[in-house]
Amino acid sequence: MKKNLLAMCVMLLFFSGQVFGQERVITGKVTSQDDGTSVPGVNLLVKGTSTGTASDSDGNYSIAVSGDNAVLVFSFIGYKTVEVSVGTRSVVDVQIATDITQLSEVVVTGYGTQLKQDLTGNIAKVSGTEVQGIPVPTFEQAIQGRAAGVFVEAGNGKLGQGIKIRIRGSSSVSAGNQPLYVIDGIPITSGSQASVGGATNPLADLNSNDIESIEILKDASAAAIYGSRAANGVVLISTKRGKSGKTNFNLNYLTGFSKPTNHVEWLNTAEYVELFTEARAATGAVSLTSFTNRLNRFGADPANLTSSGTGVPHESWAVPGAPGYIDTKWDNLAFQEAQVNQLDFSASGGTDKTKFFTSLTWGDQDGILIGNRFQKIGGRINVDHQATEKLSLGINFSLARTVNYRLADDNAFSTPLQMVALGPMTPPVDPRSELISGALNPVTGLPNTNFPQYYNPLIDVAYNDRVTTVFRNFGTLYGNYKIIEGLTFRTEFGFDLLNQHEDRYFATQSSRNSGAPNGEANDIWTQVFNYTTNNFFQYSKSFDVHALDVVAGMSFQKSNTDFGSVTGQQFASDSYKKVISAASITAGSSTETGFAFASYFGRANYKFNNKYLVSLSGRVDGSSRFGPDNQYGFFPAASVGWILTEESFLADNNILEFLKLRASYGLTGNAEIGNFPWQGLYSGDGGYAAVPGQRPSQIENRDLRWEQTAQTDIGVDFGIFNSRITGEIDYYIKKTSDLLLAVNLVGSAGVARTQIQNVGDLENKGFEFVLNTENLVGAFKWNTSFNIANNKNEITNLDGQVIEGSFLSRAIEGEPIGIFFGPKYAGVDPANGDALYFTRDINNDLITTNDPNLAELVKIGDPNPEIIWGMTNNFSYKGIDLSILFMGVSGNDVYNGGGKFMSANGDFYDNQTRDQLNRWQNPGDITNVPQARLFGGNGIAESSRYISDGSYVRLKTLTLGYNLPQSLISKASLTKMRIYVSGQNLLTITDYKLWDPEVNADSFESNITQGTDFYSAPQPKTITFGINIGF
Amino acid sequence: MKKKIFILISAITVFTSCGDQLDVKPFNTIDSGTGTGTSKDIEALIVGAYTFLGDGDVYGGNMQRDAELIGDDGEIFWDGTFTDPAEIWDNAMLITNGQAEATWLDCYRVINICNTVLANLSVVTADKVDRIEGEAKFIRGVMYFELVRVYARTWTDPSGTPATNPGVPIVLEPSTTALVDRSSVAEVYTQVISDLQDAKTLLPITNSFFATTYAASSILSRVYMMQQDYANAALEADIVIGSGEFGLLSDYADNFNNSANVFSSRSNNDNATSEDIFALQVTSQSGINNMNTFFSTTGRGDIYIEPAHFVLYEAGDDRLNLFYDGERTGKWENQFGNVNIIRLAEMYLTRAEANLEAGSTVGDTPLNDINTIRNRVGLADLGSVTIADILNERHLELAFEGHQIHDLKRTGRSVGALAFNAPKLIFPIPSREIIINPDMEQNEDY
Repeated sequence: MKKNLLAMCVMLLFFSGQVFGQERVITGKVTSQDDGTSVPGVNLLVKGTSTGTASDSDGNYSIAVSGDNAVLVFSFIGYKTVEVSVGTRSVVDVQIATDITQLSEVVVTGYGTQLKQDLTGNIAKVSGTEVQGIPVPTFEQAIQGRAAGVFVEAGNGKLGQGIKIRIRGSSSVSAGNQPLYVIDGIPITSGSQASVGGATNPLADLNSNDIESIEILKDASAAAIYGSRAANGVVLISTKRGKSGKTNFNLNYLTGFSKPTNHVEWLNTAEYVELFTEARAATGAVSLTSFTNRLNRFGADPANLTSSGTGVPHESWAVPGAPGYIDTKWDNLAFQEAQVNQLDFSASGGTDKTKFFTSLTWGDQDGILIGNRFQKIGGRINVDHQATEKLSLGINFSLARTVNYRLADDNAFSTPLQMVALGPMTPPVDPRSELISGALNPVTGLPNTNFPQYYNPLIDVAYNDRVTTVFRNFGTLYGNYKIIEGLTFRTEFGFDLLNQHEDRYFATQSSRNSGAPNGEANDIWTQVFNYTTNNFFQYSKSFDVHALDVVAGMSFQKSNTDFGSVTGQQFASDSYKKVISAASITAGSSTETGFAFASYFGRANYKFNNKYLVSLSGRVDGSSRFGPDNQYGFFPAASVGWILTEESFLADNNILEFLKLRASYGLTGNAEIGNFPWQGLYSGDGGYAAVPGQRPSQIENRDLRWEQTAQTDIGVDFGIFNSRITGEIDYYIKKTSDLLLAVNLVGSAGVARTQIQNVGDLENKGFEFVLNTENLVGAFKWNTSFNIANNKNEITNLDGQVIEGSFLSRAIEGEPIGIFFGPKYAGVDPANGDALYFTRDINNDLITTNDPNLAELVKIGDPNPEIIWGMTNNFSYKGIDLSILFMGVSGNDVYNGGGKFMSANGDFYDNQTRDQLNRWQNPGDITNVPQARLFGGNGIAESSRYISDGSYVRLKTLTLGYNLPQSLISKASLTKMRIYVSGQNLLTITDYKLWDPEVNADSFESNITQGTDFYSAPQPKTITFGINIGF
Repeated sequence: MKKKIFILISAITVFTSCGDQLDVKPFNTIDSGTGTGTSKDIEALIVGAYTFLGDGDVYGGNMQRDAELIGDDGEIFWDGTFTDPAEIWDNAMLITNGQAEATWLDCYRVINICNTVLANLSVVTADKVDRIEGEAKFIRGVMYFELVRVYARTWTDPSGTPATNPGVPIVLEPSTTALVDRSSVAEVYTQVISDLQDAKTLLPITNSFFATTYAASSILSRVYMMQQDYANAALEADIVIGSGEFGLLSDYADNFNNSANVFSSRSNNDNATSEDIFALQVTSQSGINNMNTFFSTTGRGDIYIEPAHFVLYEAGDDRLNLFYDGERTGKWENQFGNVNIIRLAEMYLTRAEANLEAGSTVGDTPLNDINTIRNRVGLADLGSVTIADILNERHLELAFEGHQIHDLKRTGRSVGALAFNAPKLIFPIPSREIIINPDMEQNEDY
């Protein structure tokens, strides 16, 4: 109370000084140069004095100055500082410009914020504006190419599917490799909850337009405050908050369309007949009659419905150009012209005491694959309230509903793109039934069982449903109490409630695929309740040349997942689609699982003389995932920084404005191995014909402990030419030890294929380079933001084990994770058309063999990119702005898992990629495609034959916008009106021959199985038109 | 100031005692220690052994399918996209063949459940302990028998001897991660016979649809046939036939596509038919019938029956009526139908063959036994019978039930150009096992 009295006295003196001095009052308004809105809270100082104030909630200010030479200094975090000479004016309106590339940028760190220039760790920041207005279901797709060392990959072109993110490489073989996601301080559920089909993406439930900024914590110093969760990096998402002042409304609408970025060429009917006729003759595996009947069947020959056929070639394939001749382009039928529509509305504002941000979003997007669609509707309200001088509190609350009309996985006959395997002589609509080919055999009245060649995905799209609806609710309540000046206590309670309904129906017409002759319904509910409380003290104090910033506190997180499903078959008709109408309940289940983390953390940042920076942090984490002997882990980190430009020897130079050296070292952990991995377990899933049964399902490993990553980072931050050029250079080494490895158990143990053990080490090291330049300033502005990173991954120790992924993907000691390991294809024997593989003779000399079993197994490819980069160029002139983002990935290989079917020189009846026409035909032919042999198994072994370079450069985003002049829109009482056109993936430059080199088939993707194509759809090329209105 | 203290205290309270919350127990599974405490636990464990015996990769169908595929010479046609069975059918398995791995792992999973049961018999109540021990030994014996047939040279292989040819690792301890090398073929057979003989003694006459003493005798007859020990084979087959517990159905087709009966009592025979000696039970909610998956158009229908098979039948053979579409067997049409493992008809055929080979007439004459089988499908009596007649009858009677390769091997008949003992007719040891245990010997040609 004494202190308060003192303050009042000082205030009184101050005011009385104003009243009685030789002074005058200047008033004015501070507005933003960007959009003309008022800016509250801007600090004003009369230069050379201690007289200061701040703009009010409407951006207005008044301040007393003396004389005509006064200079006002306007400063505000996130804006460029402006100095204005008052002269004789009494009203001084000022426009201030945002300053996002400046080093004075505020960066969100774990449990706090820091000025970028004071950072000693490595944090990449992506501003919310960069991910907004981009027609993708989830924000990670929009940060692709925007942050150095952050690799983003969509596995295929389906909407709402899992997205692979690797921050500075893969740091684990069996445990999770995805970063920790934290929204407004609360870790969220980010792993796929899909119980059927490929991974979905719970981050798609977040509205990108609510995002203020995304901070990616990459090095140990930045991330270790998240301890055992941070080895894969941490992505902090901050949502928008209100500012006091006039309420700003913002409306954004975009509409557009998508197409596939690429198509693949397949054999037409004549080519198909030519290749397969030759292939059959080469092996004689089937008789000519049987072969002819087969092609007749594919060609919907009416004679084929009642018998195996006449053996007489049918006009559908035999006579090119005849009236009944069919040449179906299945690759085109798998795709649709897709629409995208999105409407966003937000309002924000408030008073000095209470501020709010609120938003609504509605989006409806078609996938490029037929039947794929993603809808989102959601709302958010964030409120901050200053209750007393000391106590502030607030709430964030969001609700979203997403509906994903999903497709079958890439490896299923029912997935649209697998229709390319169907013969080109097969009509999409069967002339005999006038229904989709395969839907009905007019003779039996049932779906066809052997026409077309495979189950037709068109049937799946037309008759079946695979709908996943997610209700998502993020809520956070916080209180902030200022105990004494500089010391605050903050408490946060947040929850993430995810409610998912997977509703599937497989109609009668799809019985060939579903096995259910009278329909099957499948109804699955998943609920994840995940809550966290954070309680911590923040202390910051500056005295003389010292500045200290301390955080200490605790965090507790608990997550519980409940699951229930029921499956029924036998429906009276396909009009009934719910299990209530099933005559037979064929399966049902309910499960529950959960985990908890209890953590204690602390961090101290110390700055001396504005040039020497030290940061120490530590976190003790306890997890339910480990046994009582190893429940807690300790994760410390330390970092130092030295701002050289504050030293006298650099203070006078005019070029180098800012130079900082920094170094960090720390430990982070990984516990993403599922729940209860250490326990010896029995499962009760051994029921037999309604008699209960059980079995041992997991062998105990009490020694199981954290996987640990020690990371060293050395970096330089610089700014030259008045910050026209700024940049960062980093070198890092991440060494992961005690890998949580799914170790192959000897088969005769008979419990499980694998056991999680702490075995092995791996290493990631690489460079990151970021350069931001303002190439042109003035009326015509041009700035460039460039980032490039290389990462080298190596598994340094696996205790001699080889961990297998799908196809040829392996984790092997001494190699990067997921390399392709297998026979090396040696081309075709010119003498006989045999496929050849390399092997060694008795003298260890390289020779060739036609038996893939005898081939030498070697490294034949690597799915990990060597270099990833992105470059954004922004141009603006008057109201026109243009932004172009190119990104690229190079040095990675892709394995075509479908190669043995689609590029198999006519081994089976699947239609073939057109390059198979280059097959060997006569002795002496030099080619890479072996002789066509139906059922001949010639060259179809998994080998380097199916590996290609997956490097690409992509024009990821191009946006052209026009801001209508203020003079025009202010008549309509608008503060902003922008129209824009935007394109995604407009151009892809690659040597890759299939649909898209950015690929990892959803049915196979794992830590080890990377870069695998399997009839995977390409990314969409999307063009949208949008309008943004502020008022 | 009071308020500050209050806040500090509450903050400190929040900080502490979250540790207890870390004790999250599994919900869907139980600690292994609590899985074997009581008799009821072990009773459930042995039921689990049947469940995993009926796994798709074991007796749920893939084992029988693969016996048909690998032993085929033009009577069936693999027309599916799965490359594992295609390699088996082509007699060109790669060491990476996924089925070779799955069959191995899943057989040892069943063995481990049996080993766990046998290690915990002390808690089983006295009235059940014989049955449970018998069931565990029956299933374990069956699994080692299948493993040695699939992954090792056959008993009668002239290259080497059963005592020198590598068999499979024998593990009798529960859940041990010890690396065990391959025992010899002879040692594995010794284990198999020991387990099955014990089972034969311990198991009851009726046991619902679970294993009985007759199931043990039936499998023993198969084991002895593989060893060409015809006298013992005839003896075991005769025990089953002579028991009077089973009877041939009048309609051949009634053997197939039956769903599981409801469990009534162990003193009843709850097999779906009186001809079933042992079958894997499938209901719409448990079990799987992969024979349906691969043979039937209601499944994937990857396997077609070729004309070469149909020409083997005599006119009027009722078994022909079970085929449909001119290219499909009708034995596996029910997605939720039981998977027959041993039918009484096999015992007649085995007794006939074994008696004829041994020159004995245990139970009945070979001619009478064959005519019994023929009469049931509407065929006239034969006047005399040869081994070739019996093998042909057996081939037709048991077609597409998983006997093909084994019958060829034990009788020394080739598969097309491949001799009965060709290494290509043997599965490779899964490459993962060789990587884990480099001392494990791989089979020839892999």
